[in-house]
Amino acid sequence: MIKIENFPRILPFLQMFKEGIGVTVLLSLCTVLIGFALALVLAVMRMSNFRPFLMLAHAFPKVFGFFERDKEGLKLDSGFLYHMGRFNPFSFLATAYVEIIRSTPVLVQIWIIYYGVFNAIKLPAFKLFGFIAFNRFLPGAVTLGINSAAYLCEIIRSGMQSVDGGQTEAARSLGLKQLQNLRYIIMPQALKNILPAIANEFVTIIKESAIVWTIGVADIMAAVNAVKGATYIIMEPLIVAAGIYFCLCFPTSKLIAYAERRMRRGDVR
Amino acid sequence: MATSGKIIEVKDLKKYYNRGAIKALDGVTVDINKGDVAVVIGPSGSGKSTFLRSLNLLEDPTAGSILFEGVDITKKKYTKAEDSTGRTVTVKVDVDQHRQKMGMVFQHFNLFPHMTILDNMTLAPVKVKGMSKKEAEEKALALLDRVGLKDRAGAYPIQLSGGQKQRVAIVRALAMEPDVMLFDEPTSALDPEMVGEVLDVMKGLAKEGMTMVVVTHEMGFAREVGNRVLFMDGGKLLEEGSPTDIFEHPKHPRLQDFLSKVL
Ligand SMILES: Nc1ncnc2c1ncn2[C@@H]1O[C@H](COP(=O)(O)OP(=O)(O)OP(=O)(O)O)[C@@H](O)[C@H]1O
Ligand SMILES: [Mg+2]
Repeated sequence: MIKIENFPRILPFLQMFKEGIGVTVLLSLCTVLIGFALALVLAVMRMSNFRPFLMLAHAFPKVFGFFERDKEGLKLDSGFLYHMGRFNPFSFLATAYVEIIRSTPVLVQIWIIYYGVFNAIKLPAFKLFGFIAFNRFLPGAVTLGINSAAYLCEIIRSGMQSVDGGQTEAARSLGLKQLQNLRYIIMPQALKNILPAIANEFVTIIKESAIVWTIGVADIMAAVNAVKGATYIIMEPLIVAAGIYFCLCFPTSKLIAYAERRMRRGDVR
Repeated sequence: MATSGKIIEVKDLKKYYNRGAIKALDGVTVDINKGDVAVVIGPSGSGKSTFLRSLNLLEDPTAGSILFEGVDITKKKYTKAEDSTGRTVTVKVDVDQHRQKMGMVFQHFNLFPHMTILDNMTLAPVKVKGMSKKEAEEKALALLDRVGLKDRAGAYPIQLSGGQKQRVAIVRALAMEPDVMLFDEPTSALDPEMVGEVLDVMKGLAKEGMTMVVVTHEMGFAREVGNRVLFMDGGKLLEEGSPTDIFEHPKHPRLQDFLSKVL
C-alpha cells in the first residue's frame, strides 16, 4: 500500500508542508498563551473567596443572618443554608466552564466558535507573515486556547491545592490578603510542582491543533489533503505528517523534562 | 482603645464541628492583659490549638466573641467599640488589619521555602504595611542579628536547622511589629538539642514585655516564664492561675491527673 516511489510525488508540495509547520508551531504557541492566561484567571476564580450571601449576612445580620447562623446564633457548618452562604458565583462559573469544555468534543467546540461566534464577528482577511490566513487562524487559536484553558485550570488548581496549608496560614497570619497569598506564596510554589503537567498539555496542544484543518487553516494536515486531492495518494503524505508531528512533540517533551530536572536540582541545596 | 490593660477579651468562645458533635471549644472565657505571658497547657485534643488559632481567626468560631484592643473581630463587617473618650462608636472590622497585630508562630515553622530568609521577613512589611524595601531589609537584618542569624539572611529555609527555622519564624512575625505573639507548640517539632535556643528567644521577648500566648508542653517554660497558666480540657478552660497555683496547688482533679502524667 505504501510505495517508496510515491514519496517524490510529495516534493512539489514541500512549500505547503513548510508553511504548515509554521502554522502549527505558531498556533500551538498562541494557544498556550491564550490558554494559560485564561486558565490562571479561572483558577483564581475557583480559589477566590467571594461569597455574596455571606456578605449579605454580614452587612445585614438581622435580615440575612440565616445564611450564617442558626436560630441559637451558632454558626452553621452544614446543610442547605450553609452551602448557599458559601456559594461563590465566580467559582461556580469557572467550574461550569471547565466541566462543559471537558465534556464536549473539541471538534464541536471549534465548529461552534468558527461558524457561530466568528460568523458574527467579521475578521479582516489578511495574511500573517504572508502565508497565514488570519481570519481562520485566530478562531482556531482562540478555540484551542479556550479548550486547553479548562485542562490547564485543573492542573493549576491541583497544583495550588498541593501546596501545604500551613503556607496559607502563615501568609494570612502576617496580614496578607487572599489574592496576595495566591500571588506571592501559592502560585510560585504551585508552578514548580505542575510544570511537568503543563509541558504534557503543551505537547497535547501541538497534536490536537491538527483539528484546525477542519476550519480551513493551512496547517500540516491541509498539506496532506492537498497532496491527496492532486495525486490521489494518501498514506505517504500521512506518514510524512506523522513524522513531522513526532519531530515537533518528542523533542519538546524531552526538552521540558530536561528543564524540569534542572529546576529540581536547584531545589536540593 | 477601650479598657485599661486588657488586650484580648474572649467571651464564651465556641468552635463546633459536625453540627456540634465535636466541641473543640466549648465556651471559653478569658482575658489576656498587656504584658501577659499566658501559657496554655492541657492534654492532646483539648482544644489548645483551636483556641489559639481562633484568636487570629484562622479558625472561624461557631459562637462567642473575641475583642482585640476593644474591637470584636468575630463580627465580619461592623461592630461597636469604645473610643478614647469612652463613647460607643461603630467601627469597621478588617480581619487582615487585626491579623497584622497578632504575630503567629507555628509548630512546623511554615517559612516560605521559595524565598530567602530576608525575603521571608520583608514580604509582609512591604506588601501589607507599604514599608519601603530598604527600610524593611534594615529592620529584618537587625532582627536577624538579635537571634544570631544575620549571616544567614541570603539562605533558603531548607538550608537551616529546625531551631534556626523557628527563630526566623519568630522574627518574621516580629517584623510586623505585632502587639501580641501567639505560639502553637513552637518547640514540638524540634530535636531536643534545639529546643533551648528557641525558648531563649521567647524568654527574651517575654522580658521585653511582649504580650504572648503560648501553647506548649514545656512545663519548665510555663513555670519559669509564664505569669499565667491556663489549663484546658475537653474544649473548656478548667483552671487558670499563676504557675505556683497551677503546679504547686492544682485544684481540679483533671489538672491533678494531667500534671501527674507530665511532670
Ligand atoms: N477540622 C476539624 N474537623 C473535625 N474535628 C476537628 C477539626 N480540627 C480539630 N478537631 C477536633 O477538635 C479537638 C481539639 O483539637 P485541637 O487541635 O485544638 O487540640 P490540641 O489541644 O491542640 O491538641 P494537641 O495537643 O494534640 O495539638 C480535637 O478533638 C480534634 O479532633
Ligand atoms: Mg495542637
